[in-house]
Amino acid sequence: MTVGDFEDKNKQRWAEYERLVEAMERGRPGPEAGQLPRRFRELCVDLALAQSRMYGERLTDRLNAQVIRGYEMLYRNRRAGWEKFAEFVAVGFPQALRREWRLLWLCNAVFWLPFVAVMVSAHFDLQWVQAILGSDGMAAMDRMYGGREDQIAHLREEYGSNFMMFCHYIRNNVGIDFRTFAGGMAAGLGSLFFLLFNGIYMGAAAGYVNHAGNPEAFWTFVSGHAPFELLGMVVAGMAGMRLGLALLRPGRLPRVRALAEAARQALPLILGAALMTGLAAVVEGFWSAQLLPSGLKYGVGIAGWVLLIAYFSLAGRRVGDASR
Amino acid sequence: MQPHKYPLAGLYAAGKSPTFGSQLIVTTEKLDTQQAVELAEGVEIRLRVAGPMLRAGAYALDLLIRGVVMIVASIGMGLLGIAIGQRLVTGALLLAWFLLEWFYPVLFEAGKRGATPGKRILGLRVVQATGSPITAGQAIVRNFLRWVDGMPFFTYGCGMASCLATRRFQRLGDLAAGTVVIYERVTPSPALAAPPPITPVPLPVGLSADETRALVRFRERAGLWSAARREEIADQASALSGASGAPGVSRLMAMAHWVQDKKQSAGAGGRNGDRPNKK
Repeated sequence: MTVGDFEDKNKQRWAEYERLVEAMERGRPGPEAGQLPRRFRELCVDLALAQSRMYGERLTDRLNAQVIRGYEMLYRNRRAGWEKFAEFVAVGFPQALRREWRLLWLCNAVFWLPFVAVMVSAHFDLQWVQAILGSDGMAAMDRMYGGREDQIAHLREEYGSNFMMFCHYIRNNVGIDFRTFAGGMAAGLGSLFFLLFNGIYMGAAAGYVNHAGNPEAFWTFVSGHAPFELLGMVVAGMAGMRLGLALLRPGRLPRVRALAEAARQALPLILGAALMTGLAAVVEGFWSAQLLPSGLKYGVGIAGWVLLIAYFSLAGRRVGDASR
Repeated sequence: MQPHKYPLAGLYAAGKSPTFGSQLIVTTEKLDTQQAVELAEGVEIRLRVAGPMLRAGAYALDLLIRGVVMIVASIGMGLLGIAIGQRLVTGALLLAWFLLEWFYPVLFEAGKRGATPGKRILGLRVVQATGSPITAGQAIVRNFLRWVDGMPFFTYGCGMASCLATRRFQRLGDLAAGTVVIYERVTPSPALAAPPPITPVPLPVGLSADETRALVRFRERAGLWSAARREEIADQASALSGASGAPGVSRLMAMAHWVQDKKQSAGAGGRNGDRPNKK
């Protein structure tokens, strides 16, 4: 059978197939769309025949392009719905966190140890903190937490400020989470840097206000959103470290393959981190700056910590492994 | 685009053995820049992977589109701000900026077309290394890691280095997500066969499938080259033809003719002759 015979014989089926694929691509599959899988398999056989019979590139290229079109239509992924999202929050994310418990401890240590160390150092010697913050940093802290009354609430008096600050926190903090994750590609160094840097800087800020500012204004402001924001950052660091460790210690896989596998495992972590940081932005935007009794604000902060720790350790325990 | 530079490379180059892709076995195509992927349907498709220059162009287009969207939004919201207050508007713009920065490529690539508007304009598409459409998770991974690819200082130095160091032009985000950027439509390569010799010559030795294909492609494209170029290429396979220069060319042609003849007549009535998918 020559090329021409082969084409003549199958021309009609190919035209029919092209019509079906085109309708699918336009998003208007007709009533006969159910025939597409069969037509697709037929076309695959035609392509295989054309390849093995050496019918030449003109024909194989054409069939190849058509098979790719159909393949992309038939193997499209279904959109994830709300149930999927709810399942992720209730089961997938906490399970992923517990699966990576070693990284959870490591990243927490990398963040909290310098935080506490720098904060405590302010009591003995303020020079460290001054060197870390710099004059601009100290001026900014004075502006926000320096005086007697609640300056943050004053800054938020104009209409719409809360919403603006919420959007600013989303853009800034979630962006930092994503960069912390991406930094993991540098063998984990980028993620470690972000965690360490933020630990030192925030520790310095807290230490400075404790020593030279109005600690109550500071701690009542940060208490509400701190658990979500800080742990969100730590979790983003975990996601980055997962990538970095895959490059450093790929085990028995080739490095590229280990990286792809690690990215799959890191995905729930970075999504969860973004959610936590988003939640923190809501709290920071609409709650933290409200003029309310200090006791209530500290209470909300403690409740946040308890809730998060309970969520991390208990949620999704009774359900089977969601990642399988 | 110069896809078929070394049409006979497969005749003598010792290519790498099949390597593991993300899920299926992906064989490295030795004849040209196309990537052969075997589908579950048992057939091999060929993807043409896009190079870094074209992708940089697509990125520039996307940047332009986002810039225009931001400017138009700023003007529109600025007018709206007179009515509802500047602070609300500033917040909304910050949010829009965040979404455009991180989620613009994710949403478009996870969508039906598998491509951002910039990629669509240039005829590109993101697929898994196996050729199937990418998942939302893969779109997230490859685009969140864009930040490292953009290092240092948004020059895309890391991404470019990674593209040039990998066989399938994958930047770091692509490697982690297991994706490749391909041409959505493969334009057929030009072919112009030289006149066939009258007597087919049987192959002296058995050739692998790739080698046979190289031989047939040589014949199909021989008409595009000058006689000197034809001889130059045929000389690379003089071990097979047993001759060099013009006699070598016509011997290779005769062998290619024999191969096609044999395969096609076997196809007409032989073992795998009849249509296997009759209704």
